[in-house]
Order: sequence, then C-alpha cells, then structure tokens
Amino acid sequence: MTCESVSELADLYLYGELAGQEEDGIEQHLHGCAACRTAFDRQRAVHRSLDAMRMAPPPNLLAECRQDLFRAKQIRNPKSEIRNLFFEWWRPLALSARPIGALALVALGFFSSRLTLRDANLTANLASIAGEPISSTIRSVQPDASGHVQIALDETRRRLVTGSLNDGNIERLMLAAAKDAGNDGLRVESIEILKGHATSADVRDALLTALRNDPNPGVRFKALEGLKGIASQPEVRKTLTFVLQNDQNPGVRIQAIDLLTQRQDTALVGTLQQLVSKESNSYVRQRCERALEEMNASVGTF
Amino acid sequence: MALSAAAAVSARLAPNIEEAELIRAVQQGDQSAFETLVRSYDQSVLGLAMNLLRSPEDARDAYQEAFLRVYKNIHSFRFDCSFYTWLYRIVTNICLDHLRKRKIRKEEPAQVETSEGPIDRTYMIEEDRAAGDPERSLWNRQLGSRIFAALEELTPRERMVFELRHYQGMRLRAIGEILDTTEEAAKNCLFRATQKMRAGLGDFV
Repeated sequence: MTCESVSELADLYLYGELAGQEEDGIEQHLHGCAACRTAFDRQRAVHRSLDAMRMAPPPNLLAECRQDLFRAKQIRNPKSEIRNLFFEWWRPLALSARPIGALALVALGFFSSRLTLRDANLTANLASIAGEPISSTIRSVQPDASGHVQIALDETRRRLVTGSLNDGNIERLMLAAAKDAGNDGLRVESIEILKGHATSADVRDALLTALRNDPNPGVRFKALEGLKGIASQPEVRKTLTFVLQNDQNPGVRIQAIDLLTQRQDTALVGTLQQLVSKESNSYVRQRCERALEEMNASVGTF
Repeated sequence: MALSAAAAVSARLAPNIEEAELIRAVQQGDQSAFETLVRSYDQSVLGLAMNLLRSPEDARDAYQEAFLRVYKNIHSFRFDCSFYTWLYRIVTNICLDHLRKRKIRKEEPAQVETSEGPIDRTYMIEEDRAAGDPERSLWNRQLGSRIFAALEELTPRERMVFELRHYQGMRLRAIGEILDTTEEAAKNCLFRATQKMRAGLGDFV
C-alpha cells in the first residue's frame, strides 16, 4: 500500500469500515513508515477532538419536547380531544345525577306500590300525569295510629317547551341555560345550539361571556366555534386577545390565535411580540412569529 | 461513547417481540402505548437532531414533526424493517430538509436562543476536559468554532452520514438502509465528508 492510499483510507480505518485486507495493508504500511505514522496519529487526534465537540441538548429540552408533543397530538386527534372533553364535563354531571337517579327509583317504587292498590280514582289521577316526568323529594315520614305510614313528598313536574330560537322566549330560556353554573353538560348543549345564532347581539354576548369566563374548556371551545363567523368584530377580537393571553388551555389559545391572525391587524403587534417570549405552546409562538413577519414587524421586543 | 451508541443501535436492530406488541397497540389507537414508544426513542432522536441542527429550537421542531409523523403514519408500518430504522428514516429526512433550507438561507448565527436566553453555540458542546483550565477552554472554543465552520462546508447528505457514523456510531450498512442508499454509497459519502473535515481543520490539531 502506498503513502497516498494510507492517507486516504485512514479515516475509514479509524471508523472500522475497511475490509480485513485493507486494514492489514494499512497496519503493515504504518509499521514501516514513520511519516505516515505521524500523520495517522494526527488524524486520530482530530477524531478525538470531534468526539469532544458533541453538542448536548440543553437541560429540560427533552421534557419540554415531550410536553409539546403530547399536547399537539391531542389537538390533532379531535376524537380523543372530544372524548376527553366529554369526560371532563360528564364527571360533575354524572356525580350530580346520582341523587336524581336515586330519587327516580324511590318515585318509581312509590307509584308502583300505589298502582297495586287498584284504586280507580288514584289510577286515573296517575294516568293523567303519566307522560310527564316527575322528580320527587321526600320531606318527612311519620307513622300514624292505624299502623300506616304518612309520607310527605315535594314533586317537581317537568314541562316541555318547544319553539324556534327566533322566538324571544325560547332564546331567553336558552341564554339562561347557557349560564347555569351548576350544570356543565347543560351549558355545553346550550352553547352548541346557540353558536349558530351569533348574529343576535344577545347570543353573541353570551358566547363572549362563556369564552371569557366559563370554567369548562368544552364550553369555551363551543363558544369559540360560534364566534368564528364574526371574528372580525372589534368586541370579539378584544375577547379573543384576552383569551389568547390568559386562557390556561393551550387548545383554546391555539384556536384564538388562528382566528385572530386570519387577517393582518397591526393593533395586535404588541400582544404578539409579548407572546413570542412568554407563550409556552410552540404552535402559538410560531403563529405569532409568522403573523409578525407577515406584517413586517419585528419578532422580539426591544 | 461511539461504542456504546453502536451497541445500543445493534440492540435496537435486533428483533424485539415486546416492541412489536407495543407498535401493534399503537396501531390500534392505544395512546399510552404511543407515549411508551416515544419515551423509548426520543432521547436519541433529540440528541441526533440537536447535534445535526445545532439549535435547540430547530431540534425541538424536528422532534415534534418526527413523532407527529410517526403517530400519523404508524398504521402503515408493516414490520418489514426495524422500527428504529423506520423512525430514523423519518427523522433524518426532516433534519435533511432543515439542513437544505439552511444551506439556501446561508444562515447559522453564532448565538442561539434558548429558554434561558441567547447563548453561544460553542458553549453547548459536551466539554469536560477543560474544566478549571482557562487556556484549554479557550483552545477548545477555537477548535469548536473551526469544527462548526468545517461542518458547514459539508453537503446536507455528507453531514448526515458523518453524524450517523461519527456521533451515533452507526455502521455504514445501517446508514445506507436509513438513507435509502447502498453501503458503498454511504462509504463514499463518509469518505468525502472526512476529507473535507480534514481540509477544514487544517493544521489546527
């Protein structure tokens, strides 16, 4: 083997990527050639220096990457997001439904036992309300002298009201339902129905209030959907900006930035610049940066 | 370091029944299986991206894009190669795209932005020999700058082969498989890369 070929193959030799014959050839040549041995030692030193120049990720980067990934995956998997949201608001609903279920069983037992009396008047009386669900609360129980039991019940009768959202009374009931603090499921359903009528000032205000204040992210998502068509209105943009800066849920913030950056708005520059440095979600940060670039604004604050 | 990385690679290339079950679970929509799969590989993926792209932000983007692609396309994984090879094909393609765009933009600022503020790239190298020795530290920083400059002269593909061989400790056959080329072509690429590196470092070492 010549000095020239040893020099050429020295790196592959150091990586162990040469065939056995070539390795033997190099080793034999180095054994007998002092100049090549010196050059080879130098080359080995270069390799060692390169090893030392390995670049390590900063501390916490892996944890941050994992956090971003699992968040982004949820956003890209609407099925799982919807399922999570469903469970999020279903949990309190399910808990609050337990006493109602228990009461329903009591009521069922109560009416069944009375029906077995075969009292004609009573049967007629019950038949008249058979189509209307009743929830009952037992207030007191008391034995009487004849050996019977006297039970005091409070009964609430459910009433069904049907009508169009264009009917002012129906809209008022829906707006009240959208604010029912004790029932997350009812609020989600109400906002879902109302979101198609955001052109009404009262509905729009209800959507804005829900987006800004509702503790349930499922309700806030529905409100955001309802506001999509009117995202250019100043009042809506004001609330979207508030949400972008303050909402704890990254999914809500992502939707807010998407709506806000649908069109160029120089009034947003300051907010976007602040978010570039403080926002924890990488998608939101990138959207902020892109929007700033599109407006020829600087990405950072000085 | 290279030897232990090579051993890890060999272990991953070997058939792994548990991993196959994990992948099938992910294909059936098991979210926790996906997280387990990610945690098995993401440290080496991030290390590769960081060392190749030399920017925490770019490495972070590459990490996210790679695993989202895995998540989206895992149903098409047919076990005709190891998962490691399949994953590294995705990661290397993403990193190659980054490197090519960077070549076009010709930008590689001396400082990088991190969550702790802007820092000099050369401070991020794994440096243990220079601790407590200012002269050695200065020498290391100068060498680091020279190496960065030499790496910049490599084509994206040369850079990739060099990274996979030198820092990830992978064999040329595996590199060829990942980069969808032959072992011989990977060898030629590595040869060109080392020649350029040698010329770039000059008589520094």
